Amino acid sequence: MGVVVKKAELSWLDRTYVWPVLKGMAITFDHFIKQLFTPTSKRYTIQYPEMKKEMPDGYRGLHELKRFEDGAIKCVACFMCQEACPARCISIEAEEFSDLNITQGFEEKRPAQFKIDMLRCIYCGMCEEACPKDAIWLRKDYELAAYDRLSMQFGKWDLMNTYAEADGKDRISQDPTPSVPRRTIVM
Amino acid sequence: MDKLASLLHTTPAIAWMVLKVVIVFAGVMSLAAIFTWVERRGSAMIQDRIGPNRAALFGKIRIIGLAQILADGIKMFFKEDLIPAAANRGLFFLAPFLAFVPALLGFAVIPFGKSFVSGGTTYHLSVLDPGNGMGMLYPLAIGGMAVYGVLVAAWSSNNKWSILGGMRSSAAMVSYEIGMSLAVVSIFMTAGGYDPAEIIKAQGHQPWTWNIVRQPLGFIVFFTCMFAETNRLPFDFAEGESEIVAGFNTEFGSMKYSLMALAEYSHMMTASALIATLYFGGWQVPFVKDPSVLLSVACFVVKLVFFAWVFVWIRWTVPRFRYDQLMKLGWKRMLPLSMVNLVFHAWRMSQGH
Repeated sequence: MGVVVKKAELSWLDRTYVWPVLKGMAITFDHFIKQLFTPTSKRYTIQYPEMKKEMPDGYRGLHELKRFEDGAIKCVACFMCQEACPARCISIEAEEFSDLNITQGFEEKRPAQFKIDMLRCIYCGMCEEACPKDAIWLRKDYELAAYDRLSMQFGKWDLMNTYAEADGKDRISQDPTPSVPRRTIVM
Repeated sequence: MDKLASLLHTTPAIAWMVLKVVIVFAGVMSLAAIFTWVERRGSAMIQDRIGPNRAALFGKIRIIGLAQILADGIKMFFKEDLIPAAANRGLFFLAPFLAFVPALLGFAVIPFGKSFVSGGTTYHLSVLDPGNGMGMLYPLAIGGMAVYGVLVAAWSSNNKWSILGGMRSSAAMVSYEIGMSLAVVSIFMTAGGYDPAEIIKAQGHQPWTWNIVRQPLGFIVFFTCMFAETNRLPFDFAEGESEIVAGFNTEFGSMKYSLMALAEYSHMMTASALIATLYFGGWQVPFVKDPSVLLSVACFVVKLVFFAWVFVWIRWTVPRFRYDQLMKLGWKRMLPLSMVNLVFHAWRMSQGH
């Protein structure tokens, strides 16, 4: 069954074509003048290198490995993120460390190496979901481009310093406590 | 002028002629080039965008993106100039010039300022002096030649889309030429001559005695036909991305394409000069009885730029016509309207005398 489409009835003024065109020209001229006298900061266009878009909360950008006040890494090298990662871009190597204040003399785990291949990462946020210690965050930096593949391989210290400038924190490149040398277990 | 002429071993008349030609064509061509930028910026502003504002001289001086013209020119100049294997090579080379030259030539008879007397000789500010016997018939004839550029470009590139675009465009031009000519004829009648100088003189310096007020119907017809004549939206049937790729200039690249694009803008300049001369008093300054030469030239340029801007403005306001709508408008609306205009003014003149 066909649908009868009723055509809009035009008044004689609209059928002259000249009057509607003049009305349309008024509209476009209005837009022109408004856009011409709008300061650049208030226009819809974000002029990229000078202006940057404020990303919404919950945006999943470049990762950060969180740290404690004293600069110790929050990550306990539980490998949950590595397991959860659908792109298999995280690779962790664990080590043991011991500090009387923090670990009461027992050995604890932390990553010796924490690598993320940013070329493989799909920014799905599964590592953030999986982390039991809230140690890895995906934050708002979206300017992830490099001239070669190697500089897209982020190591532990890269990841801990990704937002250091933005947050006004110091860049760190050393754990506050030394790692315990691997003991040979004598049976 | 005499000193300059003797310096160059020519007569003052020739030196003045060369000066006029250089001024007019350099002026029109640079205006056309600037309007490629104005079109892009203007359309951007109309659509709440920003448009090309990045191109900068030496990477520093931005001058609101005007360097884009230069950048485009350099880019076009260094592009590869491809000729399709099956193209008609001679005509393929000739087509951009056939499109470009008529667009500029039409400007030759249009007075762009008041004539002045210096040292006993009268200097006329138009490339061809008034009383040359061609008058306004010349730009109309040259304008009719512009269709060859489109048609030759379309045919020589040996491309089905191109030839479709060329045929559509030439059909549109032929249909609209008649309405346009009849509108102009009624101006010839009321002005009592077809020389642009006479037409301008007949219009006087008061805006309410200009032809736009005397013959509004003729103005609407002429203005609409000018859009069809310059192949611009809403009548751009030589092109059409969704239907026939790029239309008549599909196969053209590099400077050839650039020349084609520039031809459109030069045509626009000539068309707005015609509109200003025929309907808006040419170089006459409103309310000023005897303007100085510079003022009259400035007034003409302002009118020219304004109508060129109206061309841009309308392009980004009105949607395209369908081909049958174009033909219907041309033959069933514009032609009868200009006939009515002609008969009405003939009747008025017969009552007046």
